[in-house]
Amino acid sequence: MNMLIFLLLPLIVAFIAPLLKPKSATYLSSIAFLLPFLAIIGCLFNSCPPKIHLMTFSPPIGEFYLHFDMISHAFGLTICIVSAMIALYALPYMTHRFGEMELNVESEFRKYIFLFDLYAASMLWLVYSGNFVLLYVFLEITLITAFLLIYTYGYGNRKWVGILYFLWCAAAGVLTLAGIVILAFENNTLALDVLLAGGTVGMIAWAFIFFGMIIELPVLGPHIWLPWAHAEAPTPVSALLSPLTVGLAGYVLLRIALIDYSFIEAYRMPILCYAIFSSIYGGFSVFKQTDFKRLLAYSTVSQMGYVLVALCLGPFGFIGLVIQYMSHAFGKSILFSCAGGIIAVHHGLRDLTKMGGLHDSIPQISNAAVLGFLNLGGMLTIGMLGEFFILRGAVETFLKPESPAFITWEGGLALIIALIFMFILSVWYGFYTIKKVFYGKPKDTKRLEISGYLYVPLYIIAIVSVLLLFPPLSTALIQGLNAIPGLGLAGGVLP
Amino acid sequence: MNDWMFFLLLFLTPVVSSVPIVFAYKNEGWTEKLPYLSVFGIFVSVLMSLHILFAMEGQYSYPWIPELGINFVFMCDYLNSYMGVVTAVIAFFIAIYGLDYMKGDYRPSWYWFCFNLFTASMLLVVYSDNLFLLFVGWEGLGAASWGLIGHWFRDDDNISYVGKAGRKVGPLELSWPPSSGGWRAISTIRFGDVPMFFAIAVIWVLSPTLNISEIEWGTLFVSLGAAGTIILMLCFLLGLFTKSAQFPFSEWLMTAMTGPTTVSALLHSATMVAAGAFVFLKVTWYIEPWHLHDVPGVEQIYTLVLFVGLISGLYGALCGSGLLERKVLLAATTMSSIGLMFAAGAASFWIHHEVAGMNFALLVAFWYMATHAFAKASLFLVSGHLIHATHSRFLCGGFEFGKRFKPAFIVTIIATTFLIGMPPLTAYWIKSGMDEVMEHLYVHEPHIILPIILLVTTSLIYSAVMARFLSLNFIKGDKPEHEHLEGGGLMKLGYGLMVSVLFILLYLIFTNEETEGFVHAGYLSVSLAVGLGALIVYAIALFIPRISIFSRVPGTFFSDRMYLPFLNDYIVPKIGFFIAYIVQEFGNRGIDGFFNTRVIPGIFRAISRGIRAIQTGPLSSYVKIVLGFVMLFIILASIGGISL
Repeated sequence: MNMLIFLLLPLIVAFIAPLLKPKSATYLSSIAFLLPFLAIIGCLFNSCPPKIHLMTFSPPIGEFYLHFDMISHAFGLTICIVSAMIALYALPYMTHRFGEMELNVESEFRKYIFLFDLYAASMLWLVYSGNFVLLYVFLEITLITAFLLIYTYGYGNRKWVGILYFLWCAAAGVLTLAGIVILAFENNTLALDVLLAGGTVGMIAWAFIFFGMIIELPVLGPHIWLPWAHAEAPTPVSALLSPLTVGLAGYVLLRIALIDYSFIEAYRMPILCYAIFSSIYGGFSVFKQTDFKRLLAYSTVSQMGYVLVALCLGPFGFIGLVIQYMSHAFGKSILFSCAGGIIAVHHGLRDLTKMGGLHDSIPQISNAAVLGFLNLGGMLTIGMLGEFFILRGAVETFLKPESPAFITWEGGLALIIALIFMFILSVWYGFYTIKKVFYGKPKDTKRLEISGYLYVPLYIIAIVSVLLLFPPLSTALIQGLNAIPGLGLAGGVLP
Repeated sequence: MNDWMFFLLLFLTPVVSSVPIVFAYKNEGWTEKLPYLSVFGIFVSVLMSLHILFAMEGQYSYPWIPELGINFVFMCDYLNSYMGVVTAVIAFFIAIYGLDYMKGDYRPSWYWFCFNLFTASMLLVVYSDNLFLLFVGWEGLGAASWGLIGHWFRDDDNISYVGKAGRKVGPLELSWPPSSGGWRAISTIRFGDVPMFFAIAVIWVLSPTLNISEIEWGTLFVSLGAAGTIILMLCFLLGLFTKSAQFPFSEWLMTAMTGPTTVSALLHSATMVAAGAFVFLKVTWYIEPWHLHDVPGVEQIYTLVLFVGLISGLYGALCGSGLLERKVLLAATTMSSIGLMFAAGAASFWIHHEVAGMNFALLVAFWYMATHAFAKASLFLVSGHLIHATHSRFLCGGFEFGKRFKPAFIVTIIATTFLIGMPPLTAYWIKSGMDEVMEHLYVHEPHIILPIILLVTTSLIYSAVMARFLSLNFIKGDKPEHEHLEGGGLMKLGYGLMVSVLFILLYLIFTNEETEGFVHAGYLSVSLAVGLGALIVYAIALFIPRISIFSRVPGTFFSDRMYLPFLNDYIVPKIGFFIAYIVQEFGNRGIDGFFNTRVIPGIFRAISRGIRAIQTGPLSSYVKIVLGFVMLFIILASIGGISL
């Protein structure tokens, strides 16, 4: 029962916080996410009840319940810590933004904090949803809240961008819904535990969900909404949208894959090649961007390619997917906040061609950005484990003689090279960007005063990401993931 | 004290002791005092490494993710224990030197944190037996070295550049600021790291353990087959070659000299670049390739390493002979030395000779690594002091200057003579062993003469370069424009301590059991001939450090590093940016235009306008529509009528 209270907390706070003044509302929201974070950390070490019943509907909907396993916990703790920290970060940032838009700070903050809390809380609920209807409902709430935030507080032609975002993600949602409906009629239930125990996902249902979710993810082709939305959203929203929301598509796909892996097995090669190509494409796109936030958005495309790659790589790839989501979320939330920090401190500066040598004026933000890119590149943070599991998944799937998808070393060489290059590219664009933005001849060597809210939360995220690489956290996390049927060494149980 | 406490102190004290200075970054008073704490942290590591050398042996294992074979496993064998001491001691001496050298710097917190993180990572690489753990240290090296090389990120001081401003070859200006030095380092290193990580993942799947000492390498290679073995080892070696700046990945090392000199000394003589060669030795130690002659693929790999090493050795020495920048010259020779370490290590495949139960070729490679580390670190530290004293990064300073700058002069004499293999000084005995190994490759299997020729050529050029360094800095160089000889007590202490270790090594060679093979090799006539050759070349180069007829051809060719910078700065970026251009201009704009801005919105706009026109348009448009339909009907009817 305890977990239910912790999960309800952010939802309740979403309705209470608007009644308070900006500062106390911020702290309240942050605490409302930190407490579940701590509770989830507790769950890593002590076993939690596997489910909490909410209510039961007649077939084909089935039981609504909260599903607790290590996958949900891994996603959940990421969402909690990032939301808690970004809530703090948003206080000076949004105040600044309201001032810029010539709005009344106090009254606008009420609207904003309500949407923000609801947005983050619905993501948290999404990953604990034990029923696909519930999951879909929260998916749509995230969509609507994020849309409203972009529409009202975004930059540039924010209304157009907001509608663009809404249309693309609504399309993704509708396709997914169609898939879910077919799933319901095939299995006569949508409760996750029943499906996991022996459900089937037909090819048509899989195809609907797959295409819906790769729009949301997004990969090359549909990816084009993402640079608009991420670049023009107010930074705290970007810092949730890119790290947390888009990756949830990976979560949905993982859940479906754990029920029935046949679709991926049937089309593994084309999907994998598309994913790698999409990731490399995204990586190359980064080099040509002149807007810092747009640059980060393309890097998200590249990173989400990893998620889709991981999905194709069997039980170890699944662990890689979960960890990749976490490391990308940590890294990208730090980086978007850094971009926002530059905007706040340097009066709306986001053009890369006008940057260079910024480390001198804002060393705190520059160093945080380094930590962010280390996360993306999988160096010294939990991202390392993510990369390692994805690589292991590739070896298990293609180079182990017992595997059904075995290809010889000579045959797999091109694939190996592409996969390796995909990982190399992240660090290349990361450090290239750092050099371009923060290093080189400074235009102004004066150190600017910067509010602690704008950088301390980022370091806390970074510390969490480093701690997660080492025991005891990584031990508990990986052991837990490894024990889930279908993941890691328990992968043999996969139907 | 428990065993794990020693390891914890060894790895964590350097990092933890440099955390306070990070928090004190705003306070100038504290940032002046706290470096002493950081140095103390490294001192604790020195003590721990000595304790491990003398009192601990064998494998120590602590769980991390035990189900999947990822654990904290440390191996205290001959190689690791000695290398640990070498690393920690060198880091400690350099840190002492750094207290003076980095005084008044604009980023002390960054420097000390990265420096200590680097030391801890290197120690982790040295001691760890588990490949994943080793890779954690490996990535730490990469990240920390990037931070240290680009330390002077402002690019505002020409003294921290590499290359001569205005020296243009074709489209490239051969001059690099620190920020691009850092970028070149991390991009090259990462190019090798990911393949290496992939290789580790392969081992993770196909071998029941990730511990280097427990993997059954022979069985693994047999199960992979020739192609598998070669691809696996190539991936693994790519990590080592990039880290060790072997040909053609050497460019980053040259521009890494944009970092503070302490960094050049630590990263680029003793530790980071040696890490690649060291890991190669460490792995070879347990692969025992000399027992794997029947396994397909292994011989090809070891032949490849042998020649990459020898070619890098020659390339580095040749470039060094043309370079005029103090540190870059030393960097080129470092690359050369590391190449020889690789070559000697790889030769172990054909060498069955064992001393005290250890393969002779590996012993040679390792002892050369240790000697080179101390000698080269001393030279780097001297050049750092020279750069401070003369405000120039180019070779300069005559005999008058040398007399007034005695400590540095003497240290340079000792370090160069001990390093080039001049009888009877330290490196002579080790180089003799190396000569013997390469000669063995000619006399016995595989009967190739090239290695010994390349080795002797490299040794001779190398010794000329070292003499040139001494001569142009202290004897026959131009008078420096600026002289500033006061102070620098801790710097002198640093390189004084560093160079004195060479005497200890000489003593150890004569007293240790496993090194008697070196002494034996030293009395062979071939070794003596090579040693005397090195001595003669050294003496000649000391008096004729520059030969003017060669200064243009091939001097410029060598000092431009045989145009290898084009690989890093022209070919790869051009290809990359071309792809990026295609992706952005055609891919992203095209898709964006189709979905979001032009085609689909345009179609919607047109349809919507059409429909609205029907609803609200004037009467004439209705008439037109009706007439249109009538025309359409007539046409259809007439076509239908004809066909009927």
